[in-house]
Amino acid sequence: MFKKILFATSATQASDHAARVAFNIAKNYQSSLNIFHVMGVPTRGYSQVVIDVKTKEEVAVDEDYTAWVTEEVRTYYEKHLDGSFEHTIDVAVGFPAREILRQAKTIKPDLILIGGSTGDEDESVYKKNSAGSTLQKVAKAAKCPVLVVNRPAASFWGGLSNIVFGTDFSKTSDKAFDFAMKVAKALDCEVNVFHAIDITPLHTGKILTQDEIEQQIRESLRKIRARYEPRLKELKAYSMDVAEGIPYMEIVKYARDNMADLIIMAHHSRKVVSDDTRLGGNVEQVIVRAGCPVISINK
Amino acid sequence: MPEGKFCNKKPIDTAEGINELLSDTSGNNYYQEMKELDIDSDLLWKTIQNTCKSRTKTWLEICAHCGMCAESCFLYQVNGRDPKQVPAYKIQSTLGEIIKRKGKVDNQFMRDTMETAWSKCTCCNRCGTYCPHGIDTGIMFSYLRGLLYQQGFVPWELKIGAGMHRVYRAQMDVTDEDFVDTFEWMVEEYEDDYPGLTVPVDVENADIMYTVNAREVKHYPEDLAEAAILFHMAGENWTVPSKGWEQTSLAMFAGDWAACKMQVESVYEAMERLKPARMIGTECGHAHRATVIEGPYWAGRKNGQPPAESIHYVEWLAEALNTGKLKIDPSKRIKELVTLQDSCNYIRNHGLKKATRDIIKHIVEPGYFVEMSPNKEHNYCCGGGGGFNGIGLFRKQRNIALLTKRDQILATGAKLVLAPCHNCWDAIRDLEEEYEIGIRWSFLKPIVIKMLVIPEHLKPEE
Ligand code: SF4
Ligand code: SF4
Ligand code: SF4
Repeated sequence: MFKKILFATSATQASDHAARVAFNIAKNYQSSLNIFHVMGVPTRGYSQVVIDVKTKEEVAVDEDYTAWVTEEVRTYYEKHLDGSFEHTIDVAVGFPAREILRQAKTIKPDLILIGGSTGDEDESVYKKNSAGSTLQKVAKAAKCPVLVVNRPAASFWGGLSNIVFGTDFSKTSDKAFDFAMKVAKALDCEVNVFHAIDITPLHTGKILTQDEIEQQIRESLRKIRARYEPRLKELKAYSMDVAEGIPYMEIVKYARDNMADLIIMAHHSRKVVSDDTRLGGNVEQVIVRAGCPVISINK
Repeated sequence: MPEGKFCNKKPIDTAEGINELLSDTSGNNYYQEMKELDIDSDLLWKTIQNTCKSRTKTWLEICAHCGMCAESCFLYQVNGRDPKQVPAYKIQSTLGEIIKRKGKVDNQFMRDTMETAWSKCTCCNRCGTYCPHGIDTGIMFSYLRGLLYQQGFVPWELKIGAGMHRVYRAQMDVTDEDFVDTFEWMVEEYEDDYPGLTVPVDVENADIMYTVNAREVKHYPEDLAEAAILFHMAGENWTVPSKGWEQTSLAMFAGDWAACKMQVESVYEAMERLKPARMIGTECGHAHRATVIEGPYWAGRKNGQPPAESIHYVEWLAEALNTGKLKIDPSKRIKELVTLQDSCNYIRNHGLKKATRDIIKHIVEPGYFVEMSPNKEHNYCCGGGGGFNGIGLFRKQRNIALLTKRDQILATGAKLVLAPCHNCWDAIRDLEEEYEIGIRWSFLKPIVIKMLVIPEHLKPEE
C-alpha cells in the first residue's frame, strides 16, 4: 500500500510517537522508509554557518558534520532498524518544511509521515520568521497524503480497524474519501463518514435556530448517503454521522467516542497559512488535538 | 611555506577546489597557512601603479587628519571611540602604508590589514558624506580589498564565495537548471491559490527581466514564488533568464575583481540576449550595487550603465503601488509601530529613499511608521555589511557592530522592522538572536502579498 514513505523527524523524543508508527507501517507493508532529518537552519546572508536545530548552536556544516549527524540519527533509531524493512537516512540543511517538500519532490513517496513537532518545537528566532509551522506548510503543499502523529497513538498502524473520514463535501474531500477507501480495503477496516456543521456565529453570521440546525443535519446526511454510500457498501462495516458544533472539536470528539485509530481529512490549500498553529485551519486543529494519527490529503 | 594548500594567491576556479576549501572546517588550516603566506611585493606595487586611481592617491594625500569623519563611523562609536577606528586612521594605516612602502610590507602587516579591511569597515560609505574634502574611505577600502585578495589575504568564506561566482556564476552552488527548476516548482506549489501563475523563462522583449539572489533558490524559494505572485497580480509582462539570473556578488565583498566582472557580465549577457525594457533585482542591497552601480565599470561599459535600464525592487514596488497596478486593502495595512532599515547600498549610494517611503505610505496605517534616527542617506549600516555578516573569524567584532542598529531600533519603540535587503535582514535577525530585544523583521514581498486586493479575474474559483 505504501511502497515508499518519507519519515521527517527531529530525531528527538518529540518525534517518538511518529517514529513508532513509521516503523510499524514499514514493517507491516514492507515499505522502504526514508528517514529524513533537517539538521540546521542557514542564514540569509552568505555565511557557511547554520544553526543546529537540536543544540541551537552555530555550527559549520561540512562533510564530516553531515556524516556525524547521519550517524546520530542512525544510532537514535538503532533498535528499530533491525533489517525487517528497507531504510535510508538523509540529512539536509534548510528550513524544515521546505526541505521536507524538496525531499518529497526528489524521492516521490506515497506517504509523508511527520511528527507533531519537527524541528520547530521551540520559540527560536527562526520560527518567528517562517510563517506557519512545518506541519502546516507540508500539509498544504505536499502532493501525497501526509500522516501526522502528534500525540501517542492508541493503537499503531497494523492494528488498525477503525477510520474516521471527515468530509466537507469539497472536491478535495472526495480525494480524501478515495484514499480512505483504499486504506480501508487494504487493511480491512471500518469507515465512519462524518460531517460537522459549523454553527459558530463567526461562520454562520447569526445564531441558528434548532429547527435550522436539524434541517441542516438532515440535508447533510442525505448528501453523505448520495455521495459516499454506494462505495461504502464495498466495505464490511461503515457508518455515517453528522453533528453540529465547532467542526474540529466535533471531529475530535467523534473520533474519540468511536475509538477511531485514524482520521482522514482533506486539507484546504486555499486557507491562508497562519503564523500561529492555534489559528490554523480545521485540519491543523484536528491534528493538534486528536488522540490518533491524522492523514491530511491535499491533491 | 609560501603558498599553502588551502591559503594561496590562486583564485578558485573549479567545483573541486571549492569543496576542498569547504572541507577545511571554519578555515582552521587556511588561517594557519596564512601566517606563512609570502607577499609578492613587486606584483603588489605594479598593481597599485596600474590600478590605483589618481582620486584615491589624492584622497590619501589631502586628508587633513581633522578627524571629522570619526563620529560618522558607527564602528568608531560602538567600539568605545577607539582612535584606531577613525576612518582616516583605518585607511591611512593600511592602504596608505602599502603605497608609502611601495608594496614592501610583511606577512603580519597584511594579516592586520585584512582584519581592518573586513572587520573595521563595512564599506557603508557613511564617513564619505561627512568628510569636508569628500574623501570616501569606504571606496578606498573596497580597493584595498582587491589588493589583499590578489595576495591571498582574504577571509575564508569570501575566498569560497568568490570561487562560487567563478564556477557557478552564482554565490552558491546553484546551477542554471536548479534555478529554473526551483522557480517552476514554486509556481506549481502556488498556482492553486493564484490561478494563472507562471514563470516565463527566457522570453524576449519582456517589460521586466527579474534577477535574484542564489540563496533564495537554495534555501528560501518562497521568495521566488512571492516575486512571481506580485508580478502576476500587477499584470506585468516579465521573464527570468535561464542564465545570468544571479544578481549578487560575493566577489565584490572579496575584492576579486576578475570574478566581479565575470559575474556581472553574465547578467548583462542575459539583458543583451533577452532585450527586456527593464531589469529588476530582488530585495537585496549589495546585489544592486554590484549589478547596477559598480557593474558597468567592471564590465568596461562606456556609458557607465547596464545594457538595459536597471532598477531596484523597491522602485518597481513603489511604482506599482503608486500607479495602482497593485492595490492595497487599507483595512489590512500595518497597524503597529514599524520602522524601516535603509540599506546603504541603494539608499545612501543610490538615492532611493523616496521609493521606500512611498511604499510605506501604502502599506502602513498613517501614524504607525517611525523613522530610525538617523535615517535615509544618513542611516547607519545594519552592522553586517560588506561581507562582515558571514565571516566566522570576525564574528565577535560583528556582534559588537550590531549594537548600533539594536539601539536605533530600540529607540523607535517599534517591534517590526522592514528590511528590504538580504544582508540587512540577516544582521537584524542576528541581532535579535544575540541581544533578544523582541522584534520581528521582514522583507516587503510577504507583507505586501498579505494585504493585496486581488483583482476579480485572478481570484481562485471555489
Ligand atoms: S574627515 Fe576627511 S579629511 Fe578629515 S580625517 Fe576624515 S578623511 Fe581625513
Ligand atoms: S565606510 Fe562606513 S564602516 Fe567604513 S569607515 Fe566609513 S563609516 Fe566606517
Ligand atoms: S547590509 Fe544593508 S545596511 Fe549593511 S552595508 Fe549592506 S546595504 Fe548597508
